[in-house]
Amino acid sequence: MSTATTPKTGTGRAAGGALHGTLWLVWRRHRTALLAGILLTLAACALFSYQRIGLMGFLGDHGAPDALQDEFRTRFDGAFNSDLSFLRYIPVVVAVFLGAPLISSELERGTVHLVTTQSTGRGRWLATTLALPLTLVTVCTTLLAVVFQWLWAPARSLVVGGDWLNSGPFDVTGPVLAAKTLFLTACGIALGKLLKRMIPAMVATAFTAAAVSVVWGEKVVARLGTPLRLTYPYDGDGPALPADAVRFDDWVATADGRLYGFGTCVHDAQPDACRAKLGIVHRVTEYFSYDQMAAMQWRGAALLLALTAVLLAFVVWRARRRPL
Amino acid sequence: MHDPSPAPGPWAIEADNLWKRYRRRWALQECSFRVPAGRVCAMVGPNGAGKSTFLGIAARLVQPSSGSLRLCGVPVSDPAVLSRVAYLAQDKPLYPRFTVADTLRLGRELNPRWDQALAERIVRSGNIAPSARVGTLSGGQRTRVAFALAFGKRPDLLLLDEPMSDLDPLARDELSGLLMAEAAEHGTTVLMSSHMLSEVEEMCDHLLVLADGRLRMAGPADALVPAHTLVTGLAVDGRVPPELTEHHTVVEARVSGRQFSALVRPNGPLAGTPGAPAAAAWDTLSPSLEEVLLACMRAPGAPALVLDEPRKETAA
Repeated sequence: MSTATTPKTGTGRAAGGALHGTLWLVWRRHRTALLAGILLTLAACALFSYQRIGLMGFLGDHGAPDALQDEFRTRFDGAFNSDLSFLRYIPVVVAVFLGAPLISSELERGTVHLVTTQSTGRGRWLATTLALPLTLVTVCTTLLAVVFQWLWAPARSLVVGGDWLNSGPFDVTGPVLAAKTLFLTACGIALGKLLKRMIPAMVATAFTAAAVSVVWGEKVVARLGTPLRLTYPYDGDGPALPADAVRFDDWVATADGRLYGFGTCVHDAQPDACRAKLGIVHRVTEYFSYDQMAAMQWRGAALLLALTAVLLAFVVWRARRRPL
Repeated sequence: MHDPSPAPGPWAIEADNLWKRYRRRWALQECSFRVPAGRVCAMVGPNGAGKSTFLGIAARLVQPSSGSLRLCGVPVSDPAVLSRVAYLAQDKPLYPRFTVADTLRLGRELNPRWDQALAERIVRSGNIAPSARVGTLSGGQRTRVAFALAFGKRPDLLLLDEPMSDLDPLARDELSGLLMAEAAEHGTTVLMSSHMLSEVEEMCDHLLVLADGRLRMAGPADALVPAHTLVTGLAVDGRVPPELTEHHTVVEARVSGRQFSALVRPNGPLAGTPGAPAAAAWDTLSPSLEEVLLACMRAPGAPALVLDEPRKETAA
């Protein structure tokens, strides 16, 4: 610990006591938001741990999966759904309320002229302004994702009907939650730098987040892995998918593996003749197995983090090329 | 005295052929001048004359298009210049949610040469509680806190962009007193832009006049004013007599009725029209500083008068 040689004035605050230089400034500027974030993270982790105790008790008491499904639904669905929607809103909330105002509020109020003309200079200030909030965001979201995964994994085939891909768990466990939060926050910071006004930057960030979430869900997630295929006779029932697998798509196919859309010939006047003509004899189910989830998450996170790096590089480049 | 680095040279500001172009227009053109250390220098000019641009360049907020600027011997392209210079923007931005103590701590955390006792003394002499939030302070109190932040940095050069423009007369008087006292005590060079010509006359001993991005006049106030003479006399054919325009530099001239009045920089003794009756002789008057400044700003076409121009000395 360094000893302060200058006399202390005003009310000394414990949280800012160990921080110095630009680190102190950035903490002091955003301490309400950052402290709220840290406390909320800890509270959510405590809640997840408490929920896990109840869940493990329930899973230990029951053996038959079929009966389990209904009772699980009545007892845990509400809790898991609210956990999932809380976690899915985190990236948006952080981006809108921390990312967008981060630089735009300084530009709007002109305080950027105050801090960038002190002896430490612009580069140090910008580096700390970006690094401290983003580091805390990374730590908090990673912690939340890890603890939630710990809660969710034992019941993964029961939560939201086992659909981990589209109903939430994919986005809020593993590295995806942190990567998504960082990416949207970087969007907010860049929009704030461009728009130079706080409220427009927050609104633009909210719209960007909505657009990103649509593109992510519709276009990106399913391309992060290659679905597995299960082929079985056209008239047969086919083997059941594993409980924790996610059905992706269904096809019909010829003997040599040519795929046709699931509805092929269904509305034809003579469906059997139509299928015979095309040579359709199989049904094919494409699915993602739970084993693939981690790899897909890392691929998605790598994509988001690469985009984050591009956005932050853009912010730093703009700030260096044209003084704020 | 408190700085181990080599003592600042005799020049606090050395601008050499400084140009700045914004997207479509030139904000600053071929600005070359020097200001000796220890002066209180006023930068005067109409709105859009380039005053804020020059101060922005000096504070490293604006990048010059070409030319060089050295402050206390350090080029502004070197980030180290920021520890020698304190800059106060026109709207005196401070964080409204910080307390006064937090604001001073900001200065302490970001400046290695910070003088906490000095900053606290400035705040205390304005009866401002350290626990008060900046957002609740009056305009004069905020300016005082901003001054405390600027002086606490122990700058060699203080750059102020219209520091008194939004203050009431009482606060203006109080804070200009504070500014003069602190600058004199620490030998700080002050460069302030201002619209208030009376304020300039009272506080400043060095002048820079800008108009349309060009330097019109630069030099010590006590050398610039005597270089001008107010001449009145009989107009010749409704115009200023050619003897005057040929032999002297006319900054601004007006003809009303049969009389002309002109502000000139005489190049030698001023004599009336030769051979004319005594009634046609010219009357000469010493102008006030305000008259010289106004004439200079009104007549951007007149030749510039720059004393201490760096290139003159190198050429000699």
